[in-house]
This record gives sequence, structure tokens and C-alpha cells, in this order.
Amino acid sequence: MRHPFPYEHFRNKSFVFFSLVGTLPLAPALRSRLAAAGFQTAQELLDTGPCGLSKEIGISREEALEALQVVRQECHGDAARTPGGSGATRKCTALELLEEEQTQGFIITFCSALDTILGGGVQLTKITEICGAPGVGKTQLCMQLAVDVQIPECFGGVAGEAVFVDTEGSFMVDRVVDIAAACVRHCHLIAEAQQEEDHREALETFSLENILSHIYYFRCRDYIELLAQVYLLPEFLSEHSKVRLVVIDGIAFPFRHDFEDLSLRTRLLNGLAQQLIIIANDHKTAVVLTNQMTTRIGQSQSTLVPALGESWGHAATVRLIFHWDNSQRLATLYKSPSQKESTIPYDITVSIPLGWRFTDGSTLSAVKEFSGKSDKGLCSLSVAFQLPSEGKQ
Amino acid sequence: MDWDQFDLNPKTIAALKKADIKSVKEILNLSGADLQRLMKLSSADIQCLLKTISRTLRRDSMLTALQLYQDKDHLTSQHQKLSLGCSVLDNLLKGGIPLVGITELAGESSAGKTQISLQLCLCVQYPYKYGGLESGAVYICTEDVFPSKRLQQLIDQQHKLRADVPAEIIQKIRFGNSIFVERAADLDTFQQCITRRLSLLLARGMVRLVVIDSIAALFRCEFGPSDSALKARYLQTFGAQLHSLSTRFRTPIMCINQVTDAVSELEAAQCSLGNKVTPALGITWSNQLLMRLMVSRISLPGQSSGVASHSAGSMRTLRVVFAPHLPPSFCYYTVQLEGVKGIK
Repeated sequence: MRHPFPYEHFRNKSFVFFSLVGTLPLAPALRSRLAAAGFQTAQELLDTGPCGLSKEIGISREEALEALQVVRQECHGDAARTPGGSGATRKCTALELLEEEQTQGFIITFCSALDTILGGGVQLTKITEICGAPGVGKTQLCMQLAVDVQIPECFGGVAGEAVFVDTEGSFMVDRVVDIAAACVRHCHLIAEAQQEEDHREALETFSLENILSHIYYFRCRDYIELLAQVYLLPEFLSEHSKVRLVVIDGIAFPFRHDFEDLSLRTRLLNGLAQQLIIIANDHKTAVVLTNQMTTRIGQSQSTLVPALGESWGHAATVRLIFHWDNSQRLATLYKSPSQKESTIPYDITVSIPLGWRFTDGSTLSAVKEFSGKSDKGLCSLSVAFQLPSEGKQ
Repeated sequence: MDWDQFDLNPKTIAALKKADIKSVKEILNLSGADLQRLMKLSSADIQCLLKTISRTLRRDSMLTALQLYQDKDHLTSQHQKLSLGCSVLDNLLKGGIPLVGITELAGESSAGKTQISLQLCLCVQYPYKYGGLESGAVYICTEDVFPSKRLQQLIDQQHKLRADVPAEIIQKIRFGNSIFVERAADLDTFQQCITRRLSLLLARGMVRLVVIDSIAALFRCEFGPSDSALKARYLQTFGAQLHSLSTRFRTPIMCINQVTDAVSELEAAQCSLGNKVTPALGITWSNQLLMRLMVSRISLPGQSSGVASHSAGSMRTLRVVFAPHLPPSFCYYTVQLEGVKGIK
């Protein structure tokens, strides 16, 4: 214990090493050997060369060559990546982040009350989780979002495409057709009221068939298929660069049976959440998940809480909870980094003119009022859909 | 598992064998870092491995909604439904019962649950053209004995109920021969019934409808209030098993459920439409369902005598509580000698 100095020195050295060579995508055993031999930076490895390296750390020449190839690729990749700014160690100021976030935009739902509590709509690059009892309308909102994400830009939309991952088999294409037809009709009403050239142009391609052909549907029968699908999503999204929405309906179903080992479940869910965050960030998509509710038995009374446990609660950035109050459906924004907690009532209409409707008077007259008053885009939808006064704040 | 059939680097295959990893499931259950440690490979190799096995597992799984919509093929189409044998009821359900998923039929005793289920067992045997699936049905009884007398009655009266089907087609179908009655009074028997016997019948293509009468009876006696976690686990397992059978064989699962009076505020909040009763088994079971139907018997108010003269039996309602493709709605129906009939 009286000779701390050389050890101290070594520890410092290895610390430096881990922050440099330690980040290289090499096998863990190889990395620890390099560490033991005292290599610090990628440059040192390259300078040593394959022969030197194989002698120095006792690996075969082929292995050394392969390792160096990886190192070279990595250095090259880093050099190429830094100007683009999408590397892992990107630095930017809060102002830049703010500007970036403001330009990213939202998927508007055409329901102003919902858009308002969400701060403009479903946010791109964020994970939004919808929780609710069966039959309250989670799948309905997901199907509607898959349509809404395709609304042309001149109507305030993002003109994107949608990926729909279905684990429960509840994606009903007939219902999507209803919603899509209603959305097209709604856009036509707006175009008629405003008589603008770009609206008419946009509507030429915004047809029912077009909408349906840009919803990519994946059916996953168990959690293994779901995990595999999520591993493949980045590739799919690179090929289909217009996708702005990934829906997983629902995340809970495959993870709520056949798990003897709950720690495995937690680990898989955490991994999944991490991957989804990366997908949302890299591809500028919104990720929407649905979750079931479960009963938590408290000391005096039991309450309904979202399923999948406490740690899953951190996965989503925005959490919406749908619930019933007698026969009224309510949507509560439960977690959001930028919006305050609030509750709005909503209805689900059969098909005219929106899948969703807010509970004030007839929808048709609301649209008429809207199309008469509107002057720019969809901002004045809020005039049309006023909230009933009993809506809690 | 034979790893050599995958398009993988021989080095990766050797590492897989050395690490004693035997299935795709095992790989996907491990995190990337764990795989790196176990297989002694670099993260790039592991990424490549994960992508490759995922691709093999999910080959050609993508469909666009347009493909789903235009697909008129009998085997995969969503348009195909199982008819209830009455145009009014079919209209309420936009064609009938969806083929994939668990449909629940809840209601008080003597509301007509068993009558509807028996009728479905007959309807499923009709040709596709007449709303059937050209196959038999399994009827799993968990409480009462199977009402074979009533079934016989219904078979004899089929030509009256199904006036839309030519008589010679009805005569050709041997209705009684393709209804398989299973008896499962406790959880273990039920478990065996659905894992062994049911999958055998489905795999042989002998049945395309499963009726469980009733799911709640299995849970009524065995579980006290303290065993709720165990009960939930059973419900989730059954739900998942039935769900996967339904998906694999495109076979509708009809679960009959009892109702309980809504006691607590929480339960009342769940029974959406403000009525006093709620389906049994709580939210764990509701989470397993694709759609929920409720039947109830109503006492006739005086003024609707026009409807009363319409039928001999008493009036009942069939209500859609929730379904992904249907709005909450209801219609009236009666149970007559020849079967269940909706009233416009």
C-alpha cells in the first residue's frame, strides 16, 4: 500500500484509454487485452500495425488485421460524421435545440382540443403513450393518427407516411377507410372555403387510395416478433424516408403473459424503449404506443393505473390517459415536458366528418362555422370546437 | 436450431455454437452487451447478427392498408366475417363476428347468450357464400350440460330461419355431426382442452368456431379475493392462448361471460354505459378482448305494443359495448322456435 504512484499512473492511463479506444466496436475480450497492454488511442493502434499488434497482445495476425480494419472504419466514419452533426457527441446550445424543436412540427389531429393540450399535436421525435381501459378509443386514435400524419403541408400537416405495428389484431381496415374518407372530405371543405391554388394541388394526390397505400402494416403475434420488428425498423425507415409516425398498438399485450421472470420483462422493455427513442430521434418520427390499464390495489381502495410497471412509466415522453366518467369519454394529459396537466372530454363519431369529435353540438355545423371563419390554415379550428365549460383544467 | 441455414458469417455461427445459444428467442432475449460478452464478438458483428435473424423471422411481413382493403381472398381478408344467421343482427355487427380475435358475449342469465352461440355453431357450417366458414364448431361447456335438445330443435327449423339459403343446401349439411362438445369443469381440464384437443381439431380443419360457455364459471368458485394475482395470471394465459389459436387458424373465439352488479365506483366507471351490471372477471379479462357484446332482456313498456305483437317471445337487446370497427350501438331481438332474430 506504500507504492500508490505507479498504480495511480496506470489507472489514469486506463481511464484515458477507455474514453478513446474503449469506444471502438471491438469484442470485449480484445478491448481488455488492449487495455492491459496500455494502448490509449485509435491512432496508437494504427501506428503499431498488424504485426506489432499481434505480438504485443498475443492474438493471431488475422485477428489483428480485422481489428485494425474496424478501427480504420471507425476513424473514417467519425471524420465523415462530424460535419453532419449527427454523431454521438454532438454539442449544441439550448437555443439551437429550441429552434430545432420548433421547426420539427407536429402531427395535427384536426381536433383542436386534443391538439391544444398536447401543445400543437403529437410531437415528432418524441414517444407518446396512450393508456386506457378496453373500448375507450386507443386504437381509434392510433388509426386516426395514421391518417392524419399524411395531411398535406398546406393544411398544416406533415405530409408523411405511417408504420402501424399491430400486436392485438385490432387494426380494422374498414374503420381506417371511414376515417381516411372523412379526412379527405374535411380537407376538401377547407379548400372550397379558401380557394387557394396549393390546396387544390395538394388534394389531387390526397386521395383515399393514396392514404391507404402509405400505411405500412405489420402484424406481430408475440413479443419475439415485436422485438425482431423493432430491430428492423431503422432499416425500413431509411428506405421509406417519408415515414413520420410509428404506431405500436399495443405494447402491453405481448408482454403481459408468459413471463415467469419479471426482470427479463423489465430488461426487454427498457431495451425496446431505448431503441424506440433512437428511432424517433434519427428518423424524425413520432412514436405512439398504446398501453393497457391494470388494477392497483391500495390500502383503502383500488385504482386503475397503466400496466407494465413503474419503470416503464419513464419510457414515454408524453403520456395520455383515456378514461370514462359515467358515459363521457375523457382524455387526460398525464405527463408532458412542456404542457400542463389537463383533461378534455371527447367523443368518437361514426364517420362524419372526423373520427374524433369534441362534445359540443353537432359536428357538421362546427365545420361550417370553421370553414366560414378560417383565414389561415387550421389555427381557427379552435373557434369551431369549443370545450364544454365543465372540462377540468 | 440449425444456424447454418442463416446468412451469417461463419465466425458468428461458430461463436453461437460455442456460446451454446440454441434458439432465435434466446438471442432476442439477451441484450446487445450480453451477446457481446457471451459470444466474444464485436458490437458490429452483433448488430449484423440481430438484423439477420430478425429479417429471417419477419420475412415479407409488411402489408399496406390498401392491400388489406383490396384483398378479397378468403384466407386473409378482413372483410370476411362469420354471419349470425340474421340480416338485422349482421347489419348491427357490419357483417358478423370478425374471424381473428376474442369476442365476448356477456349478459344476465336467460338473456339469450346460449341461444346466440348455438345459432353461430350452425351458421359456421354454411358455405362461404351464405356467411359461413364451411366447417364445424367446438362448444366448451363449463357449467351447464350442453343443450342438445334445443340444438336438435334448431337444426330441424333451419329452413325457416335461413330462408335465404336454398333448401337443398340446408338438407345436405349434417349439422349435428360437426359440433364437438367438450366439458371442462375446472381450470386444469380447461387448460388441457384448449392446449391439446382444441389445437388438434383446429389444425385438422374440422372446426372454425370456438364457443366457451362460460368463461366466468371457471373462476367463480376456485378463487377467493386473496388470490386475485393468480387469477389474473390464469386469465392472461388463457387469453393469450385463445388469441394465438384464433390468429393461427383464423377462427373466431366466442366467450360467454356472466355479469355482476357494479358494486364499487371503479367498476361502475368501467361499465361504460351507465347501466347497473358489468361483465364479470374485471379489467384483466377485458384487456384480452377484441370486442364485447352484451345481451339483456327488457321488460316491455306499454306503448311498444306494435313490436310486442311482432313476436311471441319477450324482447331482448344485443348491444355492442366496444369494438375497434363498430360504434356503440344496439338492436332488439327475440328468441323464437327457429332461432334468434333481430327486429328492425
